[in-house]
Amino acid sequence: MNSKRIKLIAIMLLLVGSGVVQARIKLVALPERAATVIRLDNPQATLIEEERVLTLQKGLNKVDFSWKGVSIDADSIRLVALDHPEKVTLLSVSYPPNEAALVWDISSSDNFAERVRISYLLSFIDRLITYTAIADKAETQLDIKSFLVLRNFSGEDFDKARVLLDYGEAFEQGIDHEETKQMLFLKADKVPITKIWTFDAAKLPWDPEQLENRNVGIPVSYRIVNDTKSGLGEFALWGGKARIFQDDGHNSTIFLGEDIANLVPVGEKMELYIGDSRDIVVTQRKMTDTQINIRRNNKDRIVLFDTDEEIVAKIENFKDSPAILTMLQHIPGQWDMEKCNMQYKRKDAYAIEFEIELLGRTEKGPAAKELKVHYHRRNVRP
Amino acid sequence: MRRLISLLIIVVISPVALAKVDLVTLPSRDTVQLTIYNSADMTLVRESRALTLKEGKNSLQFSWANTLIDPTSLEMLPKADADKIDIAELVYPPRVTNLGLWNIESGVSGKVPVEITYLTSGLSWRAFYMGTLTEDEKTMRLQGYVRVTNNSGEDYENAQTRLIVGTVHILDEIAELARRQYPYGRPGEIVSVPEAVPMDREERMRARVVFEAKSVSLAGRPKEIRKEGLSEYFLYTIEGTETIPTGWSKRLLSFDIDEVPVINLYKYEEERYGRNVVRFLSFKNDEEHKLGQTPIPGGLLKVYRAAGGQGHLSYTGQSLFKYIPVDEDVELNLGAVADVVVEPTLMDFKTENYRFDNRGNISGWDEIQTFTIEARNTRDISVMIEIQRNFDTPYWNLEKSGDFGKFAKIDMDTVKFTLNLQPRSTKTFQYTIRAYHGTRQENWRESSQ
Repeated sequence: MNSKRIKLIAIMLLLVGSGVVQARIKLVALPERAATVIRLDNPQATLIEEERVLTLQKGLNKVDFSWKGVSIDADSIRLVALDHPEKVTLLSVSYPPNEAALVWDISSSDNFAERVRISYLLSFIDRLITYTAIADKAETQLDIKSFLVLRNFSGEDFDKARVLLDYGEAFEQGIDHEETKQMLFLKADKVPITKIWTFDAAKLPWDPEQLENRNVGIPVSYRIVNDTKSGLGEFALWGGKARIFQDDGHNSTIFLGEDIANLVPVGEKMELYIGDSRDIVVTQRKMTDTQINIRRNNKDRIVLFDTDEEIVAKIENFKDSPAILTMLQHIPGQWDMEKCNMQYKRKDAYAIEFEIELLGRTEKGPAAKELKVHYHRRNVRP
Repeated sequence: MRRLISLLIIVVISPVALAKVDLVTLPSRDTVQLTIYNSADMTLVRESRALTLKEGKNSLQFSWANTLIDPTSLEMLPKADADKIDIAELVYPPRVTNLGLWNIESGVSGKVPVEITYLTSGLSWRAFYMGTLTEDEKTMRLQGYVRVTNNSGEDYENAQTRLIVGTVHILDEIAELARRQYPYGRPGEIVSVPEAVPMDREERMRARVVFEAKSVSLAGRPKEIRKEGLSEYFLYTIEGTETIPTGWSKRLLSFDIDEVPVINLYKYEEERYGRNVVRFLSFKNDEEHKLGQTPIPGGLLKVYRAAGGQGHLSYTGQSLFKYIPVDEDVELNLGAVADVVVEPTLMDFKTENYRFDNRGNISGWDEIQTFTIEARNTRDISVMIEIQRNFDTPYWNLEKSGDFGKFAKIDMDTVKFTLNLQPRSTKTFQYTIRAYHGTRQENWRESSQ
């Protein structure tokens, strides 16, 4: 820690003769900070643990801890005696008015130098995780690199600190105020991926012809499983920005897209949305939507009816290669399926999901399939 | 090349990386490759340089003042002795902007080839097209161009230039990342994506001297553009290398296909185009139409027509069109015309089959409308006309008569008539639509079966 910054977080030992302190006199030598740990295991807040040696005298000791130019959560400050915990008792903590400081009243049963650990939550110092991954040309696997980015804007320089994440070994790292450091901390090659195209009928336009000169992009994602089969699975993958590239087969790469990866616990899946496909085209139309089984009240007003609805979706694959399209269809309320020409699974009460296998385009033209869904919504009230 | 991006190697005696002393070498770029996107203001730059490393700790300074580089995208990879060279960290030092330091632990000394990649903003490309119809409008010469513009602040000399066709998903604008005071921002502050700043490309292009000569290869012919599919994108690689100084654009011929068969398609749909007939030029991106090798990137097509035998042209119109996958139909909207006319006329209107509720109020009825539709082609070439009619109910029956061509139900309340008309000819047909209202809708099912 450099001498300029030492003034920012200062700790003073005040010798107290009487039990009542009229004014705090801060003139005792500043104990040097020893081992410092920067704990980054919680993305919400960074915990600093530092060790200092206090020269305690038998009786009541007042230890003044103050800071300037840094943002410390005063309620988070803790003090632990390390050498003689049984001989040292923390009696109280006082906060002086209009000061970034606190005073510990410590009772000691003897005279000795005591190593203490002070911990506190410090703002404006944190870590980010970023990912860079290169997919092979066939899009079956990814070479993943993950970087740890330390950002220190706390107002404090850390010359040498042990940095702790929520897994792995602690490592030594210095980082100055306003400094950012990026380090490689995970490398996993040949992680298997599944490529997914998704058409959600509630989110995407149904009829591209109605859009004049706009393409409908079908979202494309890569799915990775955080397990040992994938060469991962040792720990949760932290969330962060992921940039995906692809090997272009010419000793170079192209940038495919980027997404924010969520935290992925062991065994769970990570899905990264990379971009939109314009080579799979879905044209969906409602061919029938009428009321049936109409029930009326005494005043001849409709009080309840069912519907007869039919949706036809034409799915065309203009790509050379086959693809599996996940298609989501939404049917609100109570409903019965009358007829459906493809297998589906119920995703929830109001949504059904199709996995539609599409062949690649041939000389004859695009590979096309037609989905026909004929259903009735039941007991609809006008 | 302007020395905006500079690379310094510093031998570090003390472990403090900030000792910017003992300049050893300033290696220039050996090769540079640009992969330019058009769905986002973004270019992937890959450059190779030969660094002179010493065994032990080396610090390499990379600065990018006055450029639009995203510092978070910087990556360096050794291309030889990769197992002996550990690129330990990339440090963005405090109180210095536009500068990064790579701390490298090297097990070898001497020249080491490395590859540095990063994303930058300011380079862009777009596709545009010129179509020239023959006088009989049966075929069209289609020329596709790409125009690459460099506003990056950096001169790229002899760069292999590649273009990406496709829509890439990005979270932050590269230009915004390039402008940040701190590459990864500050903790505790919300790094918001700024509102999209309009590129105002058109304006910038007007203000610039544009270099539009065809790029000529050494062989004395226009350069070829190699096209290949990758993931959801198409990669266009321009033959050889290009030098595009900052502020300049370059136009390159992407393809030139003669005699693409086209259909003169006219559409009439009141809800969409009003009471106008709109002209479309239709063809397919397939081999039959001498195309179909790759998708066609979206762009503006200007259509001309041969006028007279002297090579004169007349301007027909222009159409902005979307990305066309291989084998997909292309329909280019050239705007409303007056020489093909569609006139629907309501010839008869009546209501019947009234139903009453137990209070004597009307609860259901049928509405019957008879239309005559006249389609006239006043041109001296044959045309195809699509007439779409929309109804405001799914409960309807339709009867048709006359020369109605091909009929299709498009969806629950839309039908389409497709007619082929010879030069200077007229076709007329009728249809009667019965719409079921109120309680009569319950009778629609039986009557429609």
